[in-house]
Amino acid sequence: MTSTSRTETLNWNDIQVGDVLPTLVIDVTATVIVAGAIATRDFMPVHHDRDFANAQGSPDIFMNILSDTAYCSRYLTDWAGPEAMIKRLSIRLGVPTFPGSPLSYTGVVTAVSRGIVEVEIRARNNLGDHVTGVGVLDLALG
Amino acid sequence: MNGETIGDSQDFAQRLTALVGRPMGSGKATVAPDPVNQPMIRHWVAAFEDTNPVYTDALFANTSRFGGIVAPPLMLQTWTMATPMITGIGARGGAPVATETTSPLAMFDEAGFIGTLASNSEFEIERYLKVGEVVSATTVIEVISEEKQTRIGRGHFVTWVTTYVDDAGDVVGTQRFTILKFKPAVAQ
Repeated sequence: MTSTSRTETLNWNDIQVGDVLPTLVIDVTATVIVAGAIATRDFMPVHHDRDFANAQGSPDIFMNILSDTAYCSRYLTDWAGPEAMIKRLSIRLGVPTFPGSPLSYTGVVTAVSRGIVEVEIRARNNLGDHVTGVGVLDLALG
Repeated sequence: MNGETIGDSQDFAQRLTALVGRPMGSGKATVAPDPVNQPMIRHWVAAFEDTNPVYTDALFANTSRFGGIVAPPLMLQTWTMATPMITGIGARGGAPVATETTSPLAMFDEAGFIGTLASNSEFEIERYLKVGEVVSATTVIEVISEEKQTRIGRGHFVTWVTTYVDDAGDVVGTQRFTILKFKPAVAQ
């Protein structure tokens, strides 16, 4: 890992609707896709075997949805801090993510109420929207 | 990825309707093969380069709201994934194991809808899991769409709901998951 651990968690009173999350760019390679598939214990060959993916009509292996939810959760807590508790995450897949096209995560706060913060998330690649979704964080500490 | 509705044979459509409300697999809970554990957590956070210290740093985690190391909440689905038999996985269409009971989804494959693509995933997290806990999951089919034309071929969207419970049987999270079972368009 290259970055250091974040130890401070945001105070929800300081968060406002419209706040924009820093962009996170994932440099998607075949290794990234395979590492994510295996770490989530998803051995579907479309996520590690290009020949198999081709036979299913796909030009290459593509990222699995368990990796998408993983990156979304990382994106949320990278921003909000380690004690932000994810209460809900709902994502919809659009275009696939293949090796060679970076994935850009962006997010914006859409609701804040009594320690509960809602964030709209979008992950785009060269083909368009790969993930659109909503995350809900509990930031009511103590 | 909504497509246009097109016709099914009457018989096939009726068999699909009969699947709604049925459990996936045998109907018994799928018990995670291993308790929540640090090695699998470490493997997961490394894959996604997630440096959140509550997942791996006991000193930090012990004084956090969680009171100790917790599993990444979105690992919930991972704990109960089947341990795969690698040999023959491609010939089984990606099924991790040769199942003793016929999957309710087998009728799609038999009808030529051999492709599988995830479409939506929606988690409600009740609480985070600690190291040592054993997760079990039960899954019920909730909705099956009519046959649709999509950009990757004709298919049916299938939605199921999985309820994850702890050792005591208390719900720790739920997941609504939608896949497309489709007839692959010819590869380029």
